[in-house]
Amino acid sequence: MLSIKNLHASVEDKEILKGINLEIKAGEVHAIMGPNGSGKSTLSQVLAGNEAFEVTSGEVTLNGENLLDLETEERAREGIFLAFQYPVEIPGVSNLQFLRTAVNAMRQHRGEEEMNAAEFMKLAREVSKQVDLDPSFLKRGVNEGFSGGEKKRNEILQALLLQPKLAILDETDSGLDIDALKVVSDGVNALRSEDRAILMVTHYQRLLNHIVPDYVHVLAGGRIIKSGGRELALELEEKGYGWLGIKDEEDAGN
Amino acid sequence: MKPVPKLSSAFLHAACDCMPEPLLALRKQRASALVDMPLPTRKTENWKYSAKYLKLSDDMAISLPADGKTGTSLAVPGYKVVFLNGVMIPEASEFPDLDGITIESFRDLNNDDATALSKKLGGTLDHDQAQFARLNGARFEDGLLIRLKPGAVLDQPLFIIHETHGDASGSAYPRVYVEAGANSQMTLVEEYTSGGEAPVLVGTVTEFDVADGANITSIRLNMEGENVQHIGATGVLQARSSRFESHCVGFGGPLRRHDLQVRLEGEGAETKLNGVVVTQGKQHYDNHTAIDHVAAHCNSEETYRNIAADKSHAVFNGRIHIHQDAQKSNADMNNKNLLLNSGAEIDTKPELEIYADDVKCAHGATIGQLDETSLFYLVSRGIGRRDANVLLTMAFINELVAQIPVEAVRETAQTRLNEFFDKTFEEA
Ligand SMILES: Nc1ncnc2c1ncn2[C@@H]1O[C@H](COP(=O)(O)OP(=O)(O)O)[C@@H](O)[C@H]1O
Ligand SMILES: [Mg+2]
Repeated sequence: MLSIKNLHASVEDKEILKGINLEIKAGEVHAIMGPNGSGKSTLSQVLAGNEAFEVTSGEVTLNGENLLDLETEERAREGIFLAFQYPVEIPGVSNLQFLRTAVNAMRQHRGEEEMNAAEFMKLAREVSKQVDLDPSFLKRGVNEGFSGGEKKRNEILQALLLQPKLAILDETDSGLDIDALKVVSDGVNALRSEDRAILMVTHYQRLLNHIVPDYVHVLAGGRIIKSGGRELALELEEKGYGWLGIKDEEDAGN
Repeated sequence: MKPVPKLSSAFLHAACDCMPEPLLALRKQRASALVDMPLPTRKTENWKYSAKYLKLSDDMAISLPADGKTGTSLAVPGYKVVFLNGVMIPEASEFPDLDGITIESFRDLNNDDATALSKKLGGTLDHDQAQFARLNGARFEDGLLIRLKPGAVLDQPLFIIHETHGDASGSAYPRVYVEAGANSQMTLVEEYTSGGEAPVLVGTVTEFDVADGANITSIRLNMEGENVQHIGATGVLQARSSRFESHCVGFGGPLRRHDLQVRLEGEGAETKLNGVVVTQGKQHYDNHTAIDHVAAHCNSEETYRNIAADKSHAVFNGRIHIHQDAQKSNADMNNKNLLLNSGAEIDTKPELEIYADDVKCAHGATIGQLDETSLFYLVSRGIGRRDANVLLTMAFINELVAQIPVEAVRETAQTRLNEFFDKTFEEA
C-alpha cells in the first residue's frame, strides 16, 4: 500500500530525514519508535503533505501512485490520515462543522451524496460515544480548550469518521491516562481491517500493549536503524534505546 | 503650497422645498454654515487614511430624483419603510399601527412637530468629527421620524431600506431620527442598497435619542455598489439605565465611511457596538467610532473585525473618552483585523482619553493573517483549500454575525459574505 524509498527531507535547510525506506501492506500495523528528535513527526508530516518540510530526494507511493505529487487535501482524499501529535485549536470553527465539511469533501470525492446536517449529527454523536467524548464537544470550536487527552480522542474520532486507508498516528498515546489510553486503543483497533494499514509513531511502547503491531521499526537520526517483529518493542522497553547505541535525547539525530 | 480644497458651492443647493417650513429653515441655516467647508485631505487627522478615496465632482451635487421605481418588493420579517434617493416612498412602505408609536415622513409632520424636530436634529452628533453630517443637514429632503412613547414596545423590527439609484450622477441624503421614550424598546434595521452605475454620493445621518431605561437595537447593513461613495454618521444619546446595541456589517466600496458616536449621559447606561467589515479588490471602508462616558457607572463594550483582501483598505478608529465625572466607567474595546493578501492594508487606531481615576478601560488591536497551521490541519482532512480558507475567515467573524439579533439580517449578511468569499477565494 505505502512504499517509501530513500526519503530525504529537510526543514529550513537542515536535513532531518536521511534516507527512509519502508514498505507497508494493507492490513498491517507498523510501529515506528525512536527517541525524541529522531524525525518521527517529520516523517508523519511529510507523508501528510506539510509544505514546511521539503522533500529533497526519494519516492513515496500510495497504491502505486506518486504521493509526493499530490496536494495535502488530495492525499487525504486518497486515504491518508494523520492524527497529529499536537492537534490544532481553531476557535470559531465548530467541531461539528469541521467534521461535516471533511466527511462531505471525502464523500464528494468518492461521488457520493453529501450528508445533511441531521444525518451527520446522528453519525457524529455515535462516533463521539465510541471515543468517550461527550457530544457537547461537537459544538465547541475545533479542539478549543480541549485537554490533551480530549484532543487525542478527537483525532481518533476523525479517523473513525473519515475511514482512511492509511492512518498515521503520531504519539496518539502521549499524555493519556490509563482509561483514555484504553479508549484510544479501542478506537484504533476498531480501525484495523484487511484493507487498511496503520502506522503508529510512538516514543513509548505502552500503546503497543493494546495495539499489537505486526512490525516495529526504530528511527534514529533520520534513518530506520532496526526493524523487527513485536518483540523488538519489548526489547526496547526493557533495555531502552541505549542498547542500540543511541541516546534518548533531543540531539540523538545529530 | 496647494490651497486647501473646499466643498464646491454646487453642493449647497437643495432641490426641493417639500418639507414643513421649520425644517426648510433649519436646512437653510445649515447650508450657510457649509460655505467654504474644507474638504478632508491626508493631513486631516480623522480622514488621513481615507481622504484619497473621496472623489466629489460637481455633477454629483445634484439631488437624485426620487421618482424612479424602487427595486425593493422584498418581504421583510417586520415593518418596512423604503427610501429612494433619500425620500420616503409611501407605496413601498408599511407602517405599524401601534399604540404609543408614530412613524412619519418628515414631509408629513405638522408644524409643531416639525418645529420640535428642527430643534433636535443633529443634536446627537459632534459635527467636528463627522463633518459630512453637516452636508446632510444642508441637503436632506425627507427623513423618518420615529417616536416611541414611554413604555412603548415595537413588536417587530422596523426595516428601513435606503435605496440609491444612480442612473445619472447625483447625491442622496437619507435621514432618520429616533426618539425613544423612557423604557421603550425597538429594533431598527437599516439596509443600504443601490442600483445604477453613475457615480453617486450618499450622505446619511441616523440619530437615536434614548431616554431612561429604553432599550434600542440598531442594525446597519451597508451593501451599496461600486458606484456609491457613502459617508454616514450615527449619533446616539443615552440617558439613565438605557441600553443601546449596534450591529454594523459593511461591505467595501470606492469610499465607505461611517462615524458612530455614542454619548453615555445618564448613570448606568450600557452600550454594545459590534462591527464587521469586509473589503476586496480596491475597495475601502473606514469606521470611526467614538464613545463618550459622560456619566458615572456606564458600560461600553465594542468589538470590531475587519477583513481585507486583494488590494483593499480597511480603517478602524476607536475613540473612548471618559469624562472627569464618569467614575466607575467600564469600557472595553477590541479590534481584530485579518489581512487576506499582502497587498491589502488595514489601519487601526485606539484613541483613549481618560479623565476619571476610578475606571476600567481595556483595549486591544491586532492585525494578522490566516494561520498556516490551522489551514494545514483542515486540508489534511480532505477539505479543499477554498473551503478551508472560508472556514478560517468566517471563524474570524462568526461570533459577531451570530450575535445579530434578527435572523433575516444574519441570512442576508451571510449571503453577501459568501459572495465575498467566492470572489476572494476563487482559485486556491
Ligand atoms: N518546523 C521545524 N523547524 C525547525 N526544526 C524542526 C522543525 N520540525 C522539526 N524540527 C527538528 O527536526 C528534528 C526532528 O523533529 P521531529 O520530527 O519532531 O522528531 P520526533 O517527532 O521524533 O520527536 C528535531 O531536531 C527538531 O528540532
Ligand atoms: Mg514527534
